[in-house]
Amino acid sequence: MTVLSAPRRKFSLSIGDRFQPAGRVGNVVLVGLLVLTTLVAVFASVLAPDNPIQPVGDLNLPPLSPHHLLGTDNLGRDLLSRTLIGLRASWFSALVVVAIGLLFGGLLGVLAGAFGGWVDGVLMRFTDLFLALPGALVAIAVNAALGPGLIHTLIGVCVVWWPYYARIIRAEVRGLASRPHVEAARLAGVGRFRLVVKHILPGVVPTAIVTASLDVGNVVVLLAGLSFLGLGQAAPAPELGADVQRSLYLVLEQWWIPIIPGLAVMLLSLVANLGGDALRNLLAGER
Amino acid sequence: MTRFLLRRVGAAAVLLVVLSALIFALDQISPGDKARAYVGGNASPAAVAAARHQLGLDQPWPQQYLRYLWNAVHGDLGASLRTHRPVTTDLGQFLPATAELVLFSFVLAVLLALLFALSGALRWPGTGLYRGVLLLGATAPAFLLGLGGIVLFYGRLHWLPEAGRGVDTSSPTGFVLLDSLLHGDGTGFVVGLRHLLLPGLALAIAPAISIGRILRSGLESVYGADHVRTARAKGIRESGVLCRHVVRNSLDAALSMSGLQLGFMFAGVVIVEDVFAWPGVGYYLAQSIPQSDFPAIAGVTLLLGGVYIVVNAVVDVLQAAADPRLTV
Repeated sequence: MTVLSAPRRKFSLSIGDRFQPAGRVGNVVLVGLLVLTTLVAVFASVLAPDNPIQPVGDLNLPPLSPHHLLGTDNLGRDLLSRTLIGLRASWFSALVVVAIGLLFGGLLGVLAGAFGGWVDGVLMRFTDLFLALPGALVAIAVNAALGPGLIHTLIGVCVVWWPYYARIIRAEVRGLASRPHVEAARLAGVGRFRLVVKHILPGVVPTAIVTASLDVGNVVVLLAGLSFLGLGQAAPAPELGADVQRSLYLVLEQWWIPIIPGLAVMLLSLVANLGGDALRNLLAGER
Repeated sequence: MTRFLLRRVGAAAVLLVVLSALIFALDQISPGDKARAYVGGNASPAAVAAARHQLGLDQPWPQQYLRYLWNAVHGDLGASLRTHRPVTTDLGQFLPATAELVLFSFVLAVLLALLFALSGALRWPGTGLYRGVLLLGATAPAFLLGLGGIVLFYGRLHWLPEAGRGVDTSSPTGFVLLDSLLHGDGTGFVVGLRHLLLPGLALAIAPAISIGRILRSGLESVYGADHVRTARAKGIRESGVLCRHVVRNSLDAALSMSGLQLGFMFAGVVIVEDVFAWPGVGYYLAQSIPQSDFPAIAGVTLLLGGVYIVVNAVVDVLQAAADPRLTV
């Protein structure tokens, strides 16, 4: 999908094709961008110069106007403030979806990987079932059935977003389970639960972190797509996708009103992708 | 091979049943009383009860599901609350436009991916810019690509039309390019093509990157392989080495990625159609969402989801036919 072409992630990408910053310093800077974005999201309401919902200036001011850095929209609302608050909603929503996907999918993956046998078979069949369904469409249908609203959107996306994590974590657990240090612990009589928690889980964490951080960008774009289709928060609330949809008809006269929130989505997705890559490079270098 | 074929078709059938069950379940939890919607807001309780019985809503839900499945197989997906027409009629009218857009866009994506992979693997000069633009485009949401295209190519340059298909969609097959070709209608073909270009590109960039990356890593790994060195040592020209020994052997993973991406495009088309007012099922879905027209939404999900599942199954089978090792 692209929602929706939901850029999904069934194959690992070759490293050489992604953006490659120069060296360790570059990587640290890019991971810093991830942290910076999160800080901007946390302090969005402090950073926003105006009330995002009330008209505060002339209508349709272009970007770089005095007092309104990104201009105003067709109702006279400050676009910088709206974009900042919308950015906060997008970023935190994406983090919530990724966290829930990681927790639920990760739990299933660890269970399947640690128990093996029929538990593994049943859990992975169940996972494959969800993996084989068109995620973006199912998310739309779930969301539409529940009605519009941010919580419903998050539920809709979470329903389709965990299987990927279950697969990755299971593979990682299976790989670790045959490593010498785990064998040694098992021979020393360590119980199954302790074996998983103390000897396998710590090894899964780096993969989980990298996978999750690389995924945030995908979720940001998917959520923006759903919001664009009218499945997000209700009208006056600033939301990047919905703001694009509501000002679609203005694109030829006041291009900045729909384009700026769209660019904000792209910026978030870019930061998430670059930061995720950098995080992976840093973690890989330390191993 | 037969066993693989049966297993794959069986899996696709199971997935279709699961998808339909999921949509049925969602229909159950979606707000609103269907019996009341059927008879109208002012109907007496007795009329509502009668309608409930008539629609089978008083039966246990397994029976309701079987009834839903039976109706769906026979082409009855209920009536749209917005257009007041049968959903299958609407879908039949809008599907050709979507199919034409997705197939056109898929061809574009494959061409862009080939260019991306070859230019990267062969280190052509000046490719950094092309690859950078494509990678940047892949991080953008589809609606931003579409809007950017409209502002630039319609608003500023006046090269391409803004939206729609540009022609009367009542053409015989519903495929504008095909019809104008069959009728020898040159102008119609050009008009159709010009309208396809922007939405096609907006939809093609993300899959192009995914396919291009896989293809490029395939090319690079085959490029240094022993059989390629042997071919070169035999004195075969570089272009021959490339076509016969490198590209053909690195297509495997790229083909399966292409199939996967084609499936995704049938889902991603919704947003692109909405931006360009493209009269397909995606636009129909986008217009149904604000009206909470669940029968229409469920119909589109079932149709596009079904296409997605079938495309993936067909790709798997084709791949197995090309490479019998996969059936083991």
